[in-house]
Amino acid sequence: MSRRTRHAAVALVLVAGLAGCGGDDGGGGDGKTLDVLIGANTQYPREFKAWQQSIAAQFKAQTGASVTFEEFASANDELTKIQTSVVSGTGPDVYAVGTTLTPTAYSTGAFVKLDDETWGKVGGKDKFVPATLGISGPDEQNQVGVPFVSRPFVMVYNTELLQAAGISKPATSWDELRDHAKKLTKDGQYGLAVAYKDNYDPWKFVWGMSAQAGNPLVDGRTAKLRDPIVKQAYDTYFGWLTTDKVVDPAAIGWTNSQAIAAFAEGKTGYMALTSTTSAKALDSGATKGKWKFALLPTVPPGATARPAGGVEAASILSGDNLLVADYSDDQDLAFQFVKLVTDQPAQLDFYQAAGNLPANAAALRTLQSDPMLAPVAQAAQKSVATPFTGAWADIQLALTNVVVQSIPDLAQGGAVPVDARLADAQKAAQSALDRAK
Amino acid sequence: MSASSEAHRLLPRPLLVTVTVILCAMVLVPVLYILLASLNSDLGVASGEFWPGSFSVESYGRIWTTADLANGLVNSILVCALVAVASAVLGTMTAYVLVRHTFTGRLTILRGLVGLQSIPGTLMLLPVFVLFSSAGNYLGVTVVGTRWGLFLAYLTFALPFSTWVMVTYLRGLPRELEEAGRVDGASTPRILVRIIMPLSLPAIVVSGIFAFLLGWNDVLFASVLTRPGTRTAAVALSAFGSTQEGGALPVYSQVMAAALVSAAPVVLLYLVFQRYLVGGLTAGGVK
Amino acid sequence: MTLIIIVPLLLALYLSLIDLDQYTLRRWLDAPFLGLKNFGEAFGSGLPHAIWISVSFAVLATVATVPFGIAAALATQNAYRGRGLVRAVFLVPYVLPSFVVATVWRTMLQPDGIVNTVLAKAGIDGGLWLSGPKSYWTLILVEIWAAWPFIYLMALAGLQSVDSEVYEASAIDGADWWPKLVRVVLPYLRGPVLLACLLATLNHINNFTLPYVLFGAPAPDDVTVMPMIVYVTSFQSLRFGLSAAMAIVSLLIVAVPLFVYLRALRLDVHDEGGRR
Repeated sequence: MSRRTRHAAVALVLVAGLAGCGGDDGGGGDGKTLDVLIGANTQYPREFKAWQQSIAAQFKAQTGASVTFEEFASANDELTKIQTSVVSGTGPDVYAVGTTLTPTAYSTGAFVKLDDETWGKVGGKDKFVPATLGISGPDEQNQVGVPFVSRPFVMVYNTELLQAAGISKPATSWDELRDHAKKLTKDGQYGLAVAYKDNYDPWKFVWGMSAQAGNPLVDGRTAKLRDPIVKQAYDTYFGWLTTDKVVDPAAIGWTNSQAIAAFAEGKTGYMALTSTTSAKALDSGATKGKWKFALLPTVPPGATARPAGGVEAASILSGDNLLVADYSDDQDLAFQFVKLVTDQPAQLDFYQAAGNLPANAAALRTLQSDPMLAPVAQAAQKSVATPFTGAWADIQLALTNVVVQSIPDLAQGGAVPVDARLADAQKAAQSALDRAK
Repeated sequence: MSASSEAHRLLPRPLLVTVTVILCAMVLVPVLYILLASLNSDLGVASGEFWPGSFSVESYGRIWTTADLANGLVNSILVCALVAVASAVLGTMTAYVLVRHTFTGRLTILRGLVGLQSIPGTLMLLPVFVLFSSAGNYLGVTVVGTRWGLFLAYLTFALPFSTWVMVTYLRGLPRELEEAGRVDGASTPRILVRIIMPLSLPAIVVSGIFAFLLGWNDVLFASVLTRPGTRTAAVALSAFGSTQEGGALPVYSQVMAAALVSAAPVVLLYLVFQRYLVGGLTAGGVK
Repeated sequence: MTLIIIVPLLLALYLSLIDLDQYTLRRWLDAPFLGLKNFGEAFGSGLPHAIWISVSFAVLATVATVPFGIAAALATQNAYRGRGLVRAVFLVPYVLPSFVVATVWRTMLQPDGIVNTVLAKAGIDGGLWLSGPKSYWTLILVEIWAAWPFIYLMALAGLQSVDSEVYEASAIDGADWWPKLVRVVLPYLRGPVLLACLLATLNHINNFTLPYVLFGAPAPDDVTVMPMIVYVTSFQSLRFGLSAAMAIVSLLIVAVPLFVYLRALRLDVHDEGGRR
C-alpha cells in the first residue's frame, strides 16, 4: 500500500473521528445515554435485570442520563467486542472487564488512565479492598481498572463426608488435600472434583501452585514455564486422576459447571475450584446444607511450609474491573456511573442479586460476619494478581493448552509427556512476551 | 392409486418406509432428547439421564427472562424474512440475466459467485465492522446496531448462493415458454414476473429458505453488529452458554427449551411454504 | 455487494501485511508494515495441519451427507399422508442453530453423558468423544447430522424439474425402479446436488460455531480446523495481522482447486437449452 493511499485513509478516519466528536456536548447528562457492557448472568437472570433497572433509575435521578446494559456471553465474546470497538472508536462507554483480561485491555491503550482526580471522582482508592487494586494497571501511575466485584476462587467441601472420614478441618496444603482425598475415595465416592476440560480452570491451579513455590511464571520479559516447579504443579494436577485416583475418571470431560454438578450429587469430598456464584447450585442438589467454602491450599505440592520466595496466593485476583473507553464522549458521566455502582449500597445490592462479592471495602466488611462467607472474604484479601502483561492472554492459553492436549493421555491413565508440552507452551509464552510493547 | 402416480413412484414401498423411518429416527432421537432434557432438572441432565426423574415445564417460562429471547425472535424473523425475500428476488433477476444473455465476464461472475462462498467469516468480521462503523462516523448513517446493517451483511452473504440456485434452475427452463410470451408482446420484466417467477417457485422458495437460515444461524456477525435492542435469537441463545468463570450449574434445561422454542418459527414457516416446494414444474403446466 | 465484500476483503488483505495486534490496534493505520512476514509465520505455525484437518473433514462430511440427502428427497417425492410432517422433521437439524446443535451433542457425548450410558448398557466402552483422536470423527458425525438436510433440500428442488413425461415414458418401458432411478431420475439431480456438494464443502470448511462450541478453545489438536485457528489467533492471541494472513492463505487454498473444479465441471456452460 502506497503512502498516498495510506494518508488518504488516515484523512478519512480523521474526518470520521471529527464527525464522531461533533455530537452532544452538553454539560449535564440530560437526554444522554451511557452504554455499559457487562457479563450475562444465567444463574440469577431476574435478579440481575432488576439490579440493572434499579441502577438505571438511580442514575437517571442523579444525572438525568439513561443507561443501557449490553451483555456478553463469554470472555471471548467480550474480547471480540473490545477489539471491534477499539479499532473503530465506537462502542460501549463503560466495560466490565474480567481481571485476567484487564492487562489485554490495557495494552490496547484505548481506556482512560486514572489520575488522582479521576480516582477522586469515583470515590477515592481507599474505598476499595486493597488487594482488588492489584490488577488495575501495571503500576500505580498507570491504572485503568476500577474494581467492581471480587470473585475469588475457593474450594468447597462436603461437611458430612469429611466428618465421616474423620477429617476435622479442610486441607491447607496441596499434599494434605491429596491425603484427604485419598481417605475420602471409596465405593462410589470420590475425594475431589476437578474440571479437566474447562477452558478457564486448569491454568489457575498451575499458576497458584507455582506462585506458592516461588515462580510467578513471568519474570519481567522472560517466561519461566520450563521449570521443575511448573512441572511439579502439572504432575500434581494430573496425578489426582492418574496416580492418586481420587477423581472420577469422567472428570476429564468436565467443565467447571459440570464438576459442580457432580459435587452437588453429594458423593464427592472436595470441589477444588469455585466461587460464591455456585452457592445456588450447591443448594439445589443433594449437598443442600452440607457444604462449606474453604481457602484453597497455600502450601505448594511436596512441601509442608511455603518456601522462601513463595507467595501466599489463595486465589488469582479474580473479579471484574470497570474501564472507561477513551473514545467515549461522556467520560464524566461514565465515571459518575462507576462511582454509583462501586458505592456501598449498589455493591451490596449486586451481591444480593448475583452473588458476586463487593470490591468496596465497607460493603465487604458487612458481609464478613456471615460465617459461610468468611473464607471467601479472606480469599478476596489474599488474592494475588497474575502478571500484568499484554502477553498474559497468550500465556494463559498456552498453559491451558497443555491440559487440553493431555486429556487423551489422561484417559488412558498413562504418563503425560508434560516436558514436551511445556516446551511448546514456553515457546508460545516467550514469543508473546517478546512481542509485548 | 392411478397408473400415472404409480409411474411416478420413485422407490418401492418397503424401501420408502425403511428410509423414512431410519431418517426420522436419526433426526428425532436427538430432538426427543432435547425435549426431555428441557423438561428435566439441570442436575438430571448433567448426570446423563435420558428419561427425566421429574418433569417440569418451568424452563419454558424462565427462558424469557434469562435471555432476551422474545425480542431476539422478533428481530431474527424480521431481518431474516427480509433477507429471504430480497435475496430470492435479486437472485432470480441476476440469474436470469446471467443465463439468458451472453456478455464478457459472465463466466467470471458465475465462478466468482461460488468463490465468494469460500471467504471465511472470521476473516471478514473485523473489516466489515470497520466499514460499517466508519459509514456511521463519516456519512452520519448509523449502521452498526441497526437491523439494516445486519440485513445488508446477510443479504450480501446470501445473494451469491441464491443466484447460483436460480442459475442452475433457470438453465433447465425451456426457452420456448418465454418466446411464446415475447410473441405476445410482453416486456422482459413482465416475462420475469409472469412466466419465469411462477415457474421457478420451488427454486425461489429454496433459495429463500437458505437465505433465511443463513441469517438465522449466524452468531459471529450478529454479536458485534447488533445492540441490545436489535439482538437476534441466535445471539440471545448463546447467552445461555455463558461461561462465568468459577460459575454455577449449566442451565441445560433452559438451553434445550430455548432451542426448541427458537426452532419452532422456522419449522412453522417451512410448513407454510412447503406447498410451493412441491408441484413446481409438474404442477406448473409445463407438460 | 461490492461495498460489503470487496472493500472488507481489500482491507483484510492490507491487515495481513501489517503487524496488527493488541498494541497497535488502536492506531492500526500506523501499524508497522511487515510485507509477507505474516505469511511466513502462518506457514510455520499450525496452519498446514489445520488446513489438512479442515479439508479432509469437509470432504468426508459432504460425501457422507449425499446419500442421506438424496434418499430423503426420493422418499418424500411421492405424496402420502403425513408427508408434510416428515418433510418438516427432515428439516429440523438444519433449522436448529449451530450453537444449539453443538451444545446438545456436547451434552450427550460427555464422558458420563447419555451416549456413553447407553453404550455401556450394550457392553461397549464409549470412551472419549470430545478429546483426542476420536474428536475428529465426532466433528464429522455431528456435522453430518446437522448438514444433510441441505443436500436434501437441493435434491428436492432438483426432483421438481423432472418432467412427468419422463416417468410415463419409463413406466411404459416397464423399467424397474432401480434402473429407472439411476438412468432417468438421478441425472436430473446431478446439477443441483453437485452444486449442493460444492457449497456444503465450503460451508463445512468455514463452519466455526460447531467445533468451537463442541470442543471449546483451545481445541484438541485433532479438531483444530482453519476457522478455529484463525479465531484463536485473532480473538484470543489478538494477532489480527497474522490471522488475516492465515485466513487469506486458507481462502486461496480453497479457492484455487475450487476454480479448477468449476472449470472441469462446466457447471456454468451457457444455455444448455430446455432438455439435457
